[in-house]
Amino acid sequence: MKDSRRTLLISLPVAILVIVAVFPFLWMAVSAFKPLSQLYTIPPQWLPDPPTLANFKNVLFESNIPRYFVNSLIISIGSTFLALVFAVFAAYGFARFDFRGRSAALAFVLIGQLLPTATVIVPLYIVLNYLGLINTYLGLILVYLILTLPLSVWMLTGYFRGIPKELEDAAIIDGASQLGVLFRISLPLVTPGIIAVTLYSFVATWNEFVFALSFATEKEMKTLPIGLAEFSTEFDTDWGAVMAASFVMTLPIALIFLVMQRMFVSGLMSGATKG
Amino acid sequence: MTLRNISPGVWFILPTMLLLAALIVYPMLSTAELSVTDANGAFSGMRNFNVAISAPSTRLILFNTAYYVIGSVVFQLLLGILAGILLNQHFAGRSLVRSLMLIPWVVPGIVAAMTWAWMFHTDYGIINYMLMQVGIISEPIGWLTNPNTVMPALIAVNAWKMFPFVAVMVLAGLQSVPEELYEAVRVDGASFWHEIWHIMLPQLRPVLVSITLLLTIWALDGITIIYSITGGGPANRSMIFPIQIYVQAFEYFEFNRAAALSVLYFLFISVIIVLYMRVFAAQEKD
Repeated sequence: MKDSRRTLLISLPVAILVIVAVFPFLWMAVSAFKPLSQLYTIPPQWLPDPPTLANFKNVLFESNIPRYFVNSLIISIGSTFLALVFAVFAAYGFARFDFRGRSAALAFVLIGQLLPTATVIVPLYIVLNYLGLINTYLGLILVYLILTLPLSVWMLTGYFRGIPKELEDAAIIDGASQLGVLFRISLPLVTPGIIAVTLYSFVATWNEFVFALSFATEKEMKTLPIGLAEFSTEFDTDWGAVMAASFVMTLPIALIFLVMQRMFVSGLMSGATKG
Repeated sequence: MTLRNISPGVWFILPTMLLLAALIVYPMLSTAELSVTDANGAFSGMRNFNVAISAPSTRLILFNTAYYVIGSVVFQLLLGILAGILLNQHFAGRSLVRSLMLIPWVVPGIVAAMTWAWMFHTDYGIINYMLMQVGIISEPIGWLTNPNTVMPALIAVNAWKMFPFVAVMVLAGLQSVPEELYEAVRVDGASFWHEIWHIMLPQLRPVLVSITLLLTIWALDGITIIYSITGGGPANRSMIFPIQIYVQAFEYFEFNRAAALSVLYFLFISVIIVLYMRVFAAQEKD
């Protein structure tokens, strides 16, 4: 008797939790496949009948969304990769050496990660403008380092710390240089960390809104989040198309998540707490 | 001290530190300078601050910001803790439910915003329809256009978006609670609520302190959801501080005034960042 009561006590809240978490996502997907006539009905129609690809056609062939998609892809990959190059060295330095100012430098990296973007948009705009980098890929790639670099340094430092120092000491005794040790011994061992950092940086830049809003104002340079936000004004809010575009934007993230859920979650967790 | 005496560690971190200094320290110093000068670069003392603070909308914006941050954090914590405790129980399909729960967190912020805006639609939104079916409301509510409902609606979106993060952290925290603690009180016939109140929550305290500070910082940074759904409207009723900075700078081109706002915003947020770093440092020591 106690068991069935317990089952009910747990399965009811579990059902509510699942509905709350999943429903908006499902509603987006369902709406994306509805023709106009079924989107604007009272009462709402639960499922598209029959499902249509018209919204996707509209988004993929008659809007700027594909261009924004490519822009986002270039900027996200560029910034992720650039941050990774710098972060590998910095993280190794933080993890392996003790020096004066080390904890202050680490604290600074953490502050960089926590700092809200709105605090620096004005001067960054002035600097980018001065350098002629407004509305360029390079401009956003550099600015996005504010997001990706502290994060990558924090996460990778943790991974490098996880490697037994004895392994490296042995190589040093055998005559390897410090850089040789980093590239031949430590780096291959932190491959899971590199993957996690890459994914998390990609997601962070893919979703970024404020910098993109401020620094990429020309139609040719806008990123996907901004394109999506403007869809409503641009087309007098064609909700079917907005939902289809949302669907398209979520796809890469969903793929990353499906393939590497475990790593993704631990990465997000360490990204938030341990850096 | 010669170059050779410098630890190799310094050389490893130097490029990154220089880059971060250029991207963060320089802009912040520049913001401070802009905040005390006028459009021609002449020193103007506290004038930008005075103008920014005495603007008629400032009180409303401060109120909105506090409303949004407190509302978001409270509901994120509440939902997240409940979900975390629930997912720590044994039931069939637990790992699937754990994955599904992460959806709000994984979906891009702008996608969440657009989806909820559609769900909140006055005439064709599913939320009004469901509430009317159940009989909670008798006629459609303009959630995002009514000055009284716009903030609660936006807070709901933000709470939905971030509660899985809290749940994951709570879950991780609960998994490190030693089983003996539960057994000890179960012998005394303690109820489930007793376990939550006297074991789980005290054990989770350090985790909860640090995520509360993080959630506060993130909510203060919450431009994406609000800007893309309402743009701060109707009539500034959902305008929060960081969006005001953006609006002053890029819609009114009042860069100096925007810089003054940025300085105030930064001073406030740095208090929370310092608190967080102290908590963080204390936890690292353990």
